[in-house]
Amino acid sequence: MTAPLLEARGLVKHFPVRRGLFGRVSGQVRAVDEIDFTLAKGETLALVGESGCGKSTTGRLVLRLIEPTAGEVRFEGQAVFDLSDGQVRALRRKMQIVFQDPYASLNPRMTVGEILSEPLALHDLAPAAERPARVERLLREVGLAPDHARRYPHEFSGGQRQRIGIARALAVEPALIVCDEPVSALDVSIQAQVLNLLKALQGRFGLAYVFIAHDLAVVRHVADRVAVMYLGKIVEQAPTKALFAAPRHPYTRALLSAIPVPSPKARRNRVILEGDVPSPIDPPPGCRFHTRCAYAVPRCKTEAPALVERAGHAVACHRADELPAESPVPRAERGPGAERLARLQAAFSQGRE
Amino acid sequence: MTALLEVEDLRTSFKVESGRFQAVDGIDLRLEAGRTLGVVGESGCGKSVTALSIMGLVASPPGEVAAAKIRFEGRDLLALSADAMRDLRGDRLAMIFQEPMTSLNPAFTVGDQIAEAIQRHRGLDRAAAWARAVEMLRRVHIPAAEARAHDYPHKLSGGMRQRVMIAMALALDPKLLIADEPTTALDVTVQAQILDLLRRLRAESGMAILIITHDLGVIAELADDVTVMYAGKVVERAPVEALFEAPQHPYTIGLLGSIPRLEREQARLDAIEGVVPNPLSPPAGCRFHPRCPFAEARCREAEPGLGPVGPSHFAACWRTPLP
Repeated sequence: MTAPLLEARGLVKHFPVRRGLFGRVSGQVRAVDEIDFTLAKGETLALVGESGCGKSTTGRLVLRLIEPTAGEVRFEGQAVFDLSDGQVRALRRKMQIVFQDPYASLNPRMTVGEILSEPLALHDLAPAAERPARVERLLREVGLAPDHARRYPHEFSGGQRQRIGIARALAVEPALIVCDEPVSALDVSIQAQVLNLLKALQGRFGLAYVFIAHDLAVVRHVADRVAVMYLGKIVEQAPTKALFAAPRHPYTRALLSAIPVPSPKARRNRVILEGDVPSPIDPPPGCRFHTRCAYAVPRCKTEAPALVERAGHAVACHRADELPAESPVPRAERGPGAERLARLQAAFSQGRE
Repeated sequence: MTALLEVEDLRTSFKVESGRFQAVDGIDLRLEAGRTLGVVGESGCGKSVTALSIMGLVASPPGEVAAAKIRFEGRDLLALSADAMRDLRGDRLAMIFQEPMTSLNPAFTVGDQIAEAIQRHRGLDRAAAWARAVEMLRRVHIPAAEARAHDYPHKLSGGMRQRVMIAMALALDPKLLIADEPTTALDVTVQAQILDLLRRLRAESGMAILIITHDLGVIAELADDVTVMYAGKVVERAPVEALFEAPQHPYTIGLLGSIPRLEREQARLDAIEGVVPNPLSPPAGCRFHPRCPFAEARCREAEPGLGPVGPSHFAACWRTPLP
């Protein structure tokens, strides 16, 4: 087997909580707490979970935008946290990030042409004379027009700004892009355009994505594999197909059950979790999910379950084998109505009837 | 039967530097007592402005609300004085928002805020109002309600604040609750709790709900009837089952095709290309025609009106019925 493109081992990030006049450390936010994952070239791994689960912190650790408390990340075999500043800069040529809010990540005083030329100059990828042509090509790749290069970010809609953010990430011809909630702030119709674009670019350039999201329906659409996170831990990790066919962790099942499905027929008996996600400052002992879990037994309160893999499907739950077999994922609709709808919807992809 | 809420030809515009921006451009709504009407659309379609117009919460200037009719329980809201409107709001007619801190005062405990509203509208004494406030917190499933009533809003999580706002909105037993994106800022497991709570409270009280959202999943969960808006206009109106099973307007069809689905694998999404039109210069004819794969010559020239396409089902499209 070839070495993975990206590998995280025992990754930990704790943030100190400071209180009072002298900034005395009064606790630790255990944002990411010993997680492992790998990512192959051209593959998409989704990190999914709710607020405070540590998914965004993990993305920042991978890029070494923040330093870890413990653990290791290897990219193309290189230990990312051992690199010098100069080496990190070189690494950024191969690893890029796309943020949720494209507006906050684009310099408002630079034209789109300048924004896209900057990485080319910084990494010495194209002599000044060739940059305009490169910028033009990048704009076309992401579905924008060459004359957009002269405009400023505020002249664009949210979806177009996200395309600019993606073009900037692509400029350095990376092998990996960390996509941090790239479509969460966009309207549904625009979200679909950007998801289609990300998939098309992946096919064309062999990109690998770490795709950070809270929306499992989006994840099902883009990911090859999924890691579900809860309070800093990976609770379940599996190929996308396997995860949606037979989710095994009670949290994954509750998350799937909670999503409102756009079909009134699918109104269903949901698993409604009580309470909120506990604070990561002082996470519950034992299994971190036990305070909200319908299946918890005394053992879950004291003993943290290990992530155990079977046939590529890993789950961290003492009771995974005892859960009901029925999947909380609703069944897809069939029938003449669904067929008509699919046929009419295809007209949008074809641009005509 | 007279409707609880009737809106006819609502037009709300805002004066901006470069002209007048018509946010809502001649829409009708009708809601019977005890029913739930969902208004769905993307950013800028006018759905939130519609809610604010009904509530009398559009600031003028720069806003201007005009309508042939806005009637609630038979009363003409357009003719009410500012004071009479204020008395109605929070009493017969209540509203909740995406961000609970827009309705909660950070300087008062949540119990005080709910009790104060009850005292003002119902003339109860302090102790009775406080007891009713605690009871409301219990009804929205806030654990240890007596203790929580003494908390300030910032002490509570996002989901708890949303519950407090709902408790406050429902304290006076309104006949209509207008909910503008009430679960959009919440995590999905908390969203499920709040939707479940709204369903339960609706069954207990018999109130009607006008829910404004961009999320067709939320609509499918909660609504009896649906109105779809695009660029300030209503493009389709239908009972919820018909809207999802046999949508007629191309925008509704495209919107449903854009959503990644939990229940099936898709190679690619049938996205609606292009962007929503500039509200200062909407396209001639049907406003959706530049993005519509079914558009033909007349769609570019003349604006289609809402016409019947099925039982209680209307669409504003020249091409309906689409086979």
